[in-house]
Amino acid sequence: MNTVSRDRLMLVIAIVLAGIYLFPLYWMYITTIKSGSEMFATPPTFWPTNPQWQIFGDVWQSRNMGRYIWNSLVIACGAVIVITVLGVGCAYVLARYRNIWVDIGLFLILMLQVLPASLMVTPIFVGFSQIGLLNYPRLAVILAIAAKSMPFFVVLVRATFMSVPQELEEAALVDGNSRVGAFFNIILPLARNGILVSAILIFMQAFGEFVYSKSMIQAVELQPASVGLNSFMGPNTNEWNNIMAYAAIYVTPILAIFVLLQRRIVSGLTSGALK
Amino acid sequence: MKRFLSSMIDGRGFDIGLVSLPLAFLLTLSGLPLLYNIVMSFQEVDMFSLGSFWRPFVGLKNYRDLFAQPETWPILANTATFVIASIAGQFLVGFGLALFFWTNFPGASWLRGLFLVSWVMPGLVVGAIWNWILSGDFGVLNFILRESGLIAGNIFWRSDPGFSLWAVIIANIWLGTSFNMILMSVGLSAIPRDLYEASELDGANVWQRFWTITLPMMRSSIGAIIALGLIFTLQQFDLFAAITSGGPNNASNVTQYWAWDLSFRQYDFAKGATISVIMIVFVMVASVVYVRSTRHEVRG
Repeated sequence: MNTVSRDRLMLVIAIVLAGIYLFPLYWMYITTIKSGSEMFATPPTFWPTNPQWQIFGDVWQSRNMGRYIWNSLVIACGAVIVITVLGVGCAYVLARYRNIWVDIGLFLILMLQVLPASLMVTPIFVGFSQIGLLNYPRLAVILAIAAKSMPFFVVLVRATFMSVPQELEEAALVDGNSRVGAFFNIILPLARNGILVSAILIFMQAFGEFVYSKSMIQAVELQPASVGLNSFMGPNTNEWNNIMAYAAIYVTPILAIFVLLQRRIVSGLTSGALK
Repeated sequence: MKRFLSSMIDGRGFDIGLVSLPLAFLLTLSGLPLLYNIVMSFQEVDMFSLGSFWRPFVGLKNYRDLFAQPETWPILANTATFVIASIAGQFLVGFGLALFFWTNFPGASWLRGLFLVSWVMPGLVVGAIWNWILSGDFGVLNFILRESGLIAGNIFWRSDPGFSLWAVIIANIWLGTSFNMILMSVGLSAIPRDLYEASELDGANVWQRFWTITLPMMRSSIGAIIALGLIFTLQQFDLFAAITSGGPNNASNVTQYWAWDLSFRQYDFAKGATISVIMIVFVMVASVVYVRSTRHEVRG
């Protein structure tokens, strides 16, 4: 067997494997455009005979999805802003030096990264309610997400800063820049791409966040899309095409960003996650 | 004042300022709740005392009550099953896929990256999709299993106490496989190729090369990945909320869901805090293993 046909064979197997793995996603989209009776047909149809395209508009209207998505956006953007503003500087310092204090700081950050949200939500909820922060529930969720996700961001961005040669900063200092000037004019522009990719990863996580929002936001008009999806799925629901339509609308923007930036996201993730 | 200012712009103060603000933020919003959690687990907390810091201390009563409850041990056993089965599944499938994509054909890295969509999707959406796939009468998984002759009748994944935990495990394996695979690929790509060339010259077959080169060289990656898997599996909450809600009758309940359920459904914040403290100890142990196994890499 020569190399070309071997490559072809491997590619075909790989596509089949990816197809099997991504079947749940396909099933979500296909169920969405099935009619109510086709959805419960036995045997199930794997290609819709009578696609119902208007379902997206219907679900968007009837579930008030605009409001849910807007709240998700507010929460995700808020968390990304807090994390980026605070995390970039922290990652820079942790990448620049190598001493015992940096080791301690890194260790602390890694330990705080692993605390499960569903276990931390009890003390955070009680604490926030005592200081009155629960009167601003979206802000409370933003702060909680920021605390949860910042360590991950710092670890990723730190890997980016490590790849910026330190000689460049030294040269800028010799040329008469202050530390602040060198940081903003030299280091930050060089690390921009890595920071951007990490911020996008954080955005995706925060956009789908559920535990904190479910526990801390009581008012329906402030809840994000994940909580909306949860309340849509009652225990004995049979509107699966509507639920899948909701899920599809919710997840498609994230999937689009991911497919567009796939290479950068994967390389950003692999450089930071294991290091 | 002037010296402080110039240090902020041009000296040590700049670094300290950059690092202390986020650390203070993290300690306030993660460290403080952690301590508060421990304090609450020794207190009597009810709806009336929720607003005040000074609640009656009750010693170890919450812990004793917790372990006197009949559902505690089954839920702990469920957690162990969930963690072990999920990690084993994610690891084996992920390792297999990583080895496959490692053979390096055109398009391999792009297709491999595509698997990561499961990782960026909101957990609730993943749960909703699997909820529908696993549904009893009309679920497509039951259809596929029936057609391939593996089962005779439908399995009621979500409502049968014998299967509901496995419903969540299946979804969790799907969710975590891609991340395991990507991390494994990183480890594999770090193995020097000439090791394989040398052993091939010596006449080692594929199987021998796998056991004598790949596995030993991957040892530290595997340790890190399993520790990370433990951390991530104990964080899994959304799938439980979306697929079984811990039911039926706690058959698929695990500690991280139970802690939330105690606090926010039954308003028993003290018990919720107590079970959180116990689980956080486990997570901390796992993360120490993780940090140790990546220690040389942490230092760059």
